[in-house]
Amino acid sequence: MSTALTGPSSSKASRVIGLLALASTAILLLVGLVLSPPEVDQADSVRLMYIHVPSAIASLYLAFGVTFIGSVIYLRTQSTFWDLMAHAGAEIGVMFCAFVLLTGMLWGRPTWGVYWQWDPRLTSTVISFVLYLGYLAVRKMDLDPAVRSRRAAILGIISFANLIIVRYSVQWWRSLHQGNTVGRDTQMDGLILFSFFWGILTFTLIFTWLLIHRFRLAWYEHQAGATSLDDAIAARRAERTPPLAGEAL
Amino acid sequence: MHWQYVIPGYVIVFGGLAGYIWTLLARIRAVAEQVPEEKRAFLD
Amino acid sequence: MAVLAVVVFQGLRNARVFFLNVDEAIAQKTDLGERTFRMQGIVVSEEGNASDGAFLFTVAFNDATANIQHIGPEPSDLFDLGEPVVVEGRWNGDVFQSDQILVKHDESYVEDNPNRVDYELDPS
Repeated sequence: MSTALTGPSSSKASRVIGLLALASTAILLLVGLVLSPPEVDQADSVRLMYIHVPSAIASLYLAFGVTFIGSVIYLRTQSTFWDLMAHAGAEIGVMFCAFVLLTGMLWGRPTWGVYWQWDPRLTSTVISFVLYLGYLAVRKMDLDPAVRSRRAAILGIISFANLIIVRYSVQWWRSLHQGNTVGRDTQMDGLILFSFFWGILTFTLIFTWLLIHRFRLAWYEHQAGATSLDDAIAARRAERTPPLAGEAL
Repeated sequence: MHWQYVIPGYVIVFGGLAGYIWTLLARIRAVAEQVPEEKRAFLD
Repeated sequence: MAVLAVVVFQGLRNARVFFLNVDEAIAQKTDLGERTFRMQGIVVSEEGNASDGAFLFTVAFNDATANIQHIGPEPSDLFDLGEPVVVEGRWNGDVFQSDQILVKHDESYVEDNPNRVDYELDPS
């Protein structure tokens, strides 16, 4: 089980990232919840922004970005590494997307007066959440692994198109949701601005750690499956006469 | 003011992360047992 | 898939125009009739509570103003003069009857500096 340098679930690099993420989280909690002042209109609910916006970046940009890149590369090269990466990104992204929706609702109630409105930004974010849940469902389907990976990759690319709608929804349509917070002219005061960026840094570290570990799980599953299923798959493939590539979807 | 919304938000996010990490590590350990040592390495 | 279909449908129906501005809502008054829609404007004055319990205030946008008669849940604490709001309701003559007030917040974040005079905060 344990070799000199690494256990089954950690490596030197991932340990360093893990420790950095923990320390960064401690600082975020201290600055975000204690040291930073309330906002002039939103009062303390502004503190939800320090986890809401970082969750959105971790989910919609980082995690689903990995899924998109992994899907594109997989379709071109059938690379196992990128296939597993795409899967890892989607699972982490769905979790962060749930955080985005929940923290957003908790912020909306004291600010707008309601937890939810079918506003363009909120609606397109829910659509993303459902699309990537669908992606994870495809990943669980009992199919030939190559067909399943191919279908997932296609969904990973289609779902990414919706993310562009999420990004620009506040510009293309009139929305209740405010415009993009972090941009060319960010309007934020000192410690509020610091907490925002510290949150983004922290969640990027957490995301990186999660991606490494979720990928490791996928890799072990793949290797475990390859060991026991090698013969079975070979036998099943041999029975099939039509080529696999053309029939997906 | 509004702490009644802030606290649940932080509990959901950091509680959710802790729960996910806990399960993830357990999943990794469980499946690692089925993988021979020499087949665990990747990228190196 | 059914969930997704509902979400997309809801979204498209509402996202086409999430709200009209006051000037547009006045211009389209005959078309709108008694239909329920959302209207955005800046709160310019508060007339307080009427005898029937309705909360009366006025919103303005692009030089057009509308009197609002709100019967429904109280708006959030952020409701204030000069703040943009989205009211949901319908025209009743020249008065807009609102069921819901949403306070729109923009992407500016200003520290609540203790040295700054702020009449809104209760010192206790």
